Amino acid sequence: MTFRRRRTHDDFSDEIRAHLELEADRLAADGMSREAARDAARRAFGSVTRVRERFYETSRFVWLDQFAQDLRYAWRSMRRNPAFLVTTVLTLAVGIGVVAIAFTVFNAYVLRPFAVHDPRSLHQIGWRSRDAGGESFRWRDYEQLRRRGDLFTSVLAESTRFVSSNGRPLAAALVSGSYFTVLGPRMAAGRGLGAADDGVEVAVLSHQAWVRLFAGDPGILDRRLDVNGRPFAIVGVVGPDFTGLGDMPRDVWVPLTTYASMAQPDLVGRDQPRAVTIVTRLRDDVTAEQARSALGSFVAGAIEGEEDVRAFVRRQDSPNPLSLDLLAVLSPVFAAFVLVLVTACANVSNVMLARAVARGREIAVRLSLGASRSRLVRQLLTEGLLIAVVAGLLGLALTAVALRAGTVLVFRTLPPSVSAIFRTAPIPIDHRVFLFALVVAALTTLLFALVPALRASRLTLVNALRGHGGDAGRGSRLRAALVVAQVAVSLVLVIIALTLARNGAAVGAVDLGYDARGVLSINVREGQTRLVRGLAEAFEVEPGAGDVAVTGGNPLFIRSRPVAAAPAGAATAVATRFTFVSPEYFPLLRIPIVGGRGFQPDEARTGAAVAVVSEATARAFWPHEDAVGKTIRIERPEGRPVVDLPGYSEVRIVGVVKDVVSGFVMDGPDAGHVYLPISASSPHALALLVRPRPGGGLGPEVLQRLFVRAAPDPQIFEALPLDDMRALQVYPLLAASWVGSLLGAIALALSVSGLYGVLTYTLSQRRREIGIRMALGATAGAVVRLVMRQSARLAGAGAAIGLSIALAAMMALSSVVRLQRITIVDVPAFAAGVFVVLAATALAAYQPARRATRIEPSETLRDS
Amino acid sequence: MQGTLEVLILRTLIFGPEHGQGIARAIQQTSDDELLVEHGALYPALQRLEAKGWIAAKWGTSANNRRARFYTLTKTGRAQLLRETTKWRRLAAAMARVLGPEPERG
Repeated sequence: MTFRRRRTHDDFSDEIRAHLELEADRLAADGMSREAARDAARRAFGSVTRVRERFYETSRFVWLDQFAQDLRYAWRSMRRNPAFLVTTVLTLAVGIGVVAIAFTVFNAYVLRPFAVHDPRSLHQIGWRSRDAGGESFRWRDYEQLRRRGDLFTSVLAESTRFVSSNGRPLAAALVSGSYFTVLGPRMAAGRGLGAADDGVEVAVLSHQAWVRLFAGDPGILDRRLDVNGRPFAIVGVVGPDFTGLGDMPRDVWVPLTTYASMAQPDLVGRDQPRAVTIVTRLRDDVTAEQARSALGSFVAGAIEGEEDVRAFVRRQDSPNPLSLDLLAVLSPVFAAFVLVLVTACANVSNVMLARAVARGREIAVRLSLGASRSRLVRQLLTEGLLIAVVAGLLGLALTAVALRAGTVLVFRTLPPSVSAIFRTAPIPIDHRVFLFALVVAALTTLLFALVPALRASRLTLVNALRGHGGDAGRGSRLRAALVVAQVAVSLVLVIIALTLARNGAAVGAVDLGYDARGVLSINVREGQTRLVRGLAEAFEVEPGAGDVAVTGGNPLFIRSRPVAAAPAGAATAVATRFTFVSPEYFPLLRIPIVGGRGFQPDEARTGAAVAVVSEATARAFWPHEDAVGKTIRIERPEGRPVVDLPGYSEVRIVGVVKDVVSGFVMDGPDAGHVYLPISASSPHALALLVRPRPGGGLGPEVLQRLFVRAAPDPQIFEALPLDDMRALQVYPLLAASWVGSLLGAIALALSVSGLYGVLTYTLSQRRREIGIRMALGATAGAVVRLVMRQSARLAGAGAAIGLSIALAAMMALSSVVRLQRITIVDVPAFAAGVFVVLAATALAAYQPARRATRIEPSETLRDS
Repeated sequence: MQGTLEVLILRTLIFGPEHGQGIARAIQQTSDDELLVEHGALYPALQRLEAKGWIAAKWGTSANNRRARFYTLTKTGRAQLLRETTKWRRLAAAMARVLGPEPERG
């Protein structure tokens, strides 16, 4: 169908006039008088008005006219009832806002493509082996890939590390010379880095860093940035919408080739580590799958020490490219947010139903005056849409406020040592979020306004004028069903929130088995054993340092390494874990020695074949005997390469210590642990533990000085209080419980107000009945019971449904997730949830019940 | 019958451009007033045909020097007319067979 300019009414009227005149002309020519001819022409034509109406209705823009009319009408009827408008808009705004928050975060981390040239063709190269996988390669691998033209149009390499700028940690992207030319991000000032900058100490700042560190100084290009003590010339500032190829925003970009001169390890030297990620632009005629198979042998050659190495090539157009796996993980989370919106819709739908009944007379009159039912439904839906769109916009405003507050909250509640280096990606409300909010608003309109509208259009004039709300009985059944659903949903959310909170508290209270308070954990990247020795020596002579221990991996930092062990002579070894520790380890952490002794300094120095085992291991191997003095055999676990096993395989047990939590707090105490002795000069020494002397003044400045003395690259990120590590491990659970509590509280508040509405409404319907009852001698108590019974029926049904849904969901979850310290089907949480929800609903019923007792029998009987 | 009127309009326009009143007259004359009772009924049909693109309209001057909106048959309109005519012929023939020969008058 073609969309020509609409023909005007006037044009049409002209045509009709011309017709009448032509006809009159003809009749006059046949001999009729002018007067009679005009009349006859009119008669022959029929009703001009009807033809005009038909013309109007067939014109293609009627619906637009009618829509504008509906809008005007909706606006007028809303203005007459501002309380209704405010309640419904606010309720929906909260519901839409909650969903929009979830979507905005999802958009920022998943959907929003990198603000670079043609993000869709960016692909990351990675590898998987039987035991491991990753995206890290060597610089020389990048150089090799860059030279082949069969798969990619361009290749870039990046390694993100923390550097120190005047003592403050900065996230630095060390990039290849091709980085900026390949990506082409918008620059706010100056230029990007190029191939000519290889080895030159120049830096490009992020927009955030420019504002944070230099207060947005317009003369930024003349200034220098301290990077690990070297003055880098600032040559550009990136626009605010590009923060790097990952979800952690970068502060600064520098040529990767400058890193060797300021820090270890040498990323481009002879012994370069696997530390750069490689991102490519695929050629138009090459698919990711073709690139993957073509890269198979190259990747297998680049990754040594692993078995069954395969390549993968993954789209990398956003920080976390959308995939089915990601959706599967996120959809239950989304579901919780959507449930809150559904509860809000139920509330509004409930109010709309009540209002439709109240407006029954008006609607019936309009129907009888010839409004078509479809037109009436459209009118009511337009009202709904108006509410939803206003609510959607308000919801977006709520989203913006909530996200800002949430970010501040996260920074405030994270352990301070973590929040200093923590950065969130920009979470903008962009066109995708805007569109999402509008679509949600439109969908919610259908959800909350369609049923009331359809129901209202079924009114009959006779009933409505008589004061019956059409099928009032079915209407109140529907409203009751809505309240039951609301109660069920809020119970599910409250139970989830309570389960998360209780688990958070339980994990936070797990007894680690050692005293972590005040202990500083310093972890060094692999291959930097020299730094460990240097640091150990520096701490040795520092008066404030107190106790220092060296380990092969600190507790709470990573799961300790797996190993297989067995009592000497036993046939099969069992999987357990092991850690290298120096003799100071047990006294420093105050781990009780329950049998035998700890390590001696000379055992540590020589790497003697002795071991200390945990109680669990001792019990497992020698249930009824003393483990001290026994010998165990250590071997590689089945099929898993462990590169840094000690040179010996049989060790004599010299002591037994209490079980501790060495890996993740959620795992609980170790199922078994073997400790082997090392000293600071051992190649297995990769981390330090320091317990500062109380009041010894081991502040950040002193640490910084010690670090600089030990190595040019301070790697501040790696020094964290053990307590903070623990807090960080519990943090996701805590944060989830906060979000869950908020959702649960909103849903509960909505269902309480929904229940309140239904009770108040039925009360108004039953005034007469209650009046009669009271006149016949019913006591106030009996009336209260009457109302409470109705409330209890609704809440009870809702609670029963919610309880079974929550139980089914949690049982399903607990069959998938198994963590020792996490209780998923948590009976107290279920019980508390039911109690909270029932108490809240009882509270909602209290006020209507009280009001019912104040009904004046004589008045209600006189009415009607 | 809506379809009938539209076919009649297309059929009338085959002899050249004509304005509304002319079309009404022509239809009345050829169908003995059976198919068009009121002239006004013509206009919604014209409207529809124009929307479908089977006829085009343009203001012009009539034989006796009055301004009038003239309709012409478009190419697609002509094709449509051919289809419709065939259909109607077949329908009329079928109806005639079913109803049998016209009874003798008298």
